[in-house]
Amino acid sequence: MTISDSAISQLTQDLYSWALRKVPDDTKAALEAARENEDSVTAKNTLTMMLHSAKAAEDNDRYVCSDSGVPVYFVRIGTKAVWNADIKNAIREGFDNLVKTIDPPILKHVTNPLTGERGYHGKDMPIVTFDLISDADYIDITCSPKALGSGRWAAMELFTFPTLETIETFVLDTAIKAGSQHCPPVIMGVGIGGTFDYCAKMSKEATLRPLGSINEEPILAAMEKRLTEAVNDLGFGPMGTGGKTTTLGVHVNYASGHGFTPVAVSFNCWINRRTRARIYSDGRVERVE
Amino acid sequence: MDDIRTITLPMTPEVARSLKLGEMIYLDGQINATAGIPTHARILDYLDRGEPLPVDLNRAAFFHLGSYSEEKDGEFDVLYMNPTTSTRFNSVMPRIIRELDLACVGGKGGLDAECARALKDVGGVYLSFLGGGCPLLSASIRHVVKVAWQDMISHYRLVVLEVERLGPLTVAIDADGNSLYDNLADDAQARRADVLAKLAAARG
Repeated sequence: MTISDSAISQLTQDLYSWALRKVPDDTKAALEAARENEDSVTAKNTLTMMLHSAKAAEDNDRYVCSDSGVPVYFVRIGTKAVWNADIKNAIREGFDNLVKTIDPPILKHVTNPLTGERGYHGKDMPIVTFDLISDADYIDITCSPKALGSGRWAAMELFTFPTLETIETFVLDTAIKAGSQHCPPVIMGVGIGGTFDYCAKMSKEATLRPLGSINEEPILAAMEKRLTEAVNDLGFGPMGTGGKTTTLGVHVNYASGHGFTPVAVSFNCWINRRTRARIYSDGRVERVE
Repeated sequence: MDDIRTITLPMTPEVARSLKLGEMIYLDGQINATAGIPTHARILDYLDRGEPLPVDLNRAAFFHLGSYSEEKDGEFDVLYMNPTTSTRFNSVMPRIIRELDLACVGGKGGLDAECARALKDVGGVYLSFLGGGCPLLSASIRHVVKVAWQDMISHYRLVVLEVERLGPLTVAIDADGNSLYDNLADDAQARRADVLAKLAAARG
């Protein structure tokens, strides 16, 4: 058996639909922990509302947010997977079918940046990037629908031979600029190094890492801990109306580069949409999250 | 969240002035919702020409809420609604607030200082909705009163809804023009040096 177009198409539709309806378990746990830690009534109540909203969406099979975002997929192909599929086209056709059949219907968010016209389709949509996984006999697909609320506050700067102080100051100032706007508490992803394009992707991938996981690089594990505390010291709080929880976690990825060092920061809002599954060569699907 | 008061719309100037920053409230009554920049442009165009809007927004509750509306058998249903970022409308809201004498505006993320001054001038407030609050907010919809400007895509339309216990909503700019957003941004800037010093100490 091989992995087929129809299997890819169906799975990527499912991943998108699931992402709209369920806040990941690690994120709900982090929101509950944050509620315990808050002092102000407004912050506690706001976190309670978030947990109620997440539960109501799950119980009733409805969307958490009306902004279903634009479809973004990270496809990682195992080098031992057996597949015979036009993967990118299968994902595109899957999304075409999804917008015709999904219940309730989603709003038109795919925007032509040259004309402002909005619909369900557009150039290079869905956004799909590819990578390889050595020796794996499956294709691993992550879906991360990206919406405006948190999407618009991402930032990148290029430094030459920056110190950790320079890097951390940029991350903090990006959080200050986003302020109350990005539906906090957010998950922050930071990329350090590589090249311009690679750095942006690292920062995005960092947001997808499960909350509570420890960075394997000790320098970054320490940086994540102090940046998380620093951003929370700013006081914007849940929904930006004040409190001790502005971020549920700052995650940092790095890559070697030249002396010019890009630093990228991206945000996921509190609903932290992400789903992921593996599809094996025999067609079996394993939901990872 | 048991002691949250419920306010019936239209909001009187006295009630608006009684609302405290950070207070949470529920709303009953008629609200107006849109999430479109083109919608705001069209409102301004109507005001320029002195043409009556299809919806009476005078002293109304006007919120930055996107919604999915669909027509079935001649009647409109709104399947869900949720706030959008209000700061996108900073440049047009002062005039809309003043000319329509808006009693309450809202959405998420707040409005800027000029909008807060406009709210002070008319005695209006800004209410913060829960982003990602679709299931809770949509459950408060009792009746779709009107869907105007149906030529626009769903979330840009001007939608009039009858709601019951909409919220809780947080009072984030009060009728005196005090803004939680401005206060928090000022606080964060004031703390920046200390936070950077704490980071430096933690780096060792």
